[in-house]
Amino acid sequence: MKTDDATLARLMAMAQQGDKRAYATLLEEARSWLKSYLRRRVAPDHLDDLVQETLVSLHRKLASYDPSRPFHPWLAAIARYRWVDHLRKLSRGDEPAVEADVAVDSDESAITARLSLERLFSQLPDAQARAIELVKVEGYSIAEASHASGQCESLVKVNIHRGLKKLAAMIEKD
Amino acid sequence: MPHDTDTTIADLVNDLQPVRPLSLRKGMCVALAMIALGVVLAITLGTMRHDLTTGAPSGAFMVSNGLFLILALACAAAVLLMGTPRVGNAQSGWGRGWGWALAMAGLLPLAALILAFANGHAAWEASEPVHGLDCLAASVGLGLMTGGVLVLWLRRGAPTSPEQAGLLTGIAAGASGVFAFSFACSIDAIVHVGLWHGLAVMLSALAGRLIVPPLVRW
Repeated sequence: MKTDDATLARLMAMAQQGDKRAYATLLEEARSWLKSYLRRRVAPDHLDDLVQETLVSLHRKLASYDPSRPFHPWLAAIARYRWVDHLRKLSRGDEPAVEADVAVDSDESAITARLSLERLFSQLPDAQARAIELVKVEGYSIAEASHASGQCESLVKVNIHRGLKKLAAMIEKD
Repeated sequence: MPHDTDTTIADLVNDLQPVRPLSLRKGMCVALAMIALGVVLAITLGTMRHDLTTGAPSGAFMVSNGLFLILALACAAAVLLMGTPRVGNAQSGWGRGWGWALAMAGLLPLAALILAFANGHAAWEASEPVHGLDCLAASVGLGLMTGGVLVLWLRRGAPTSPEQAGLLTGIAAGASGVFAFSFACSIDAIVHVGLWHGLAVMLSALAGRLIVPPLVRW
């Protein structure tokens, strides 16, 4: 059963006062919400790490929650920031590419993630979306992506960098 | 992450300490206090405008300084709001006013530029460049207090757009500094106010955009 926002806001206010039991309940609820929120946005093998990173950010930024306001929009802002940060790391090449078998995984979450990515890609120039899709989703090497897309290797790298940066900026804008 | 999520949650619960939530009202009060302190410093270290000492401030002073004050408050409010994030913040109350305030205050440098093109050297002389450099340095310096408290606020908060937070912090700091130092600046000429006072805001904005984001990223 999903806990309503008012209850979560109350739990959060109690957590800000140091109530550990309320905090444990809140974090469990947050974990489940974050999983469903982020599942549509990242590849499945990054999901757990990103959920944990977001929970740690929630913990570090407890003071930034205003108890008189709804809880979910705050949690969504924290989650979205971590997600954008994740995209930036991808654009800098700090994160490994998604494994090919993950991209073709037929379970529901992978399909949902893929649909969400395609919706995002539709807002990018074709060359950038293709380069990101081949290397970061399908797991191609730069050389293979260059061959498959007809772009030279340096252009593939530039398109990945620019595309991920643009994606991050699009998401960051409210 | 080295642990599974259950272990992470257990660690976070063990680590919980009471925190005091950020209060926008208190934040705004501190920002206002810094602006007021800037005014006190400006008239203590400099000389208060003659028209203020006689209790009859000039219209030009009230209009131009009022614009800078509104700009400072609008940007400070937007920065404070950024510290307590939520999806939809950018479209809500305090978060959306700064653009219009910036457009209004931007009329001053725009007018100065038009006058400079129309009158050339005479306009440059009217801007009183020697005094203008003093205004520039003092305004940027006085704005550091407001900028400082906003950076501290952002570090405690969770700004989700550090670049914009940095830019707005810089504008708020510069406009606060200009507002404060104007109490000691006796020149009302639009070329002077638009050029030198406007330049102080622009420089602070640039500094904020470059310096603040790495300080407030989380």
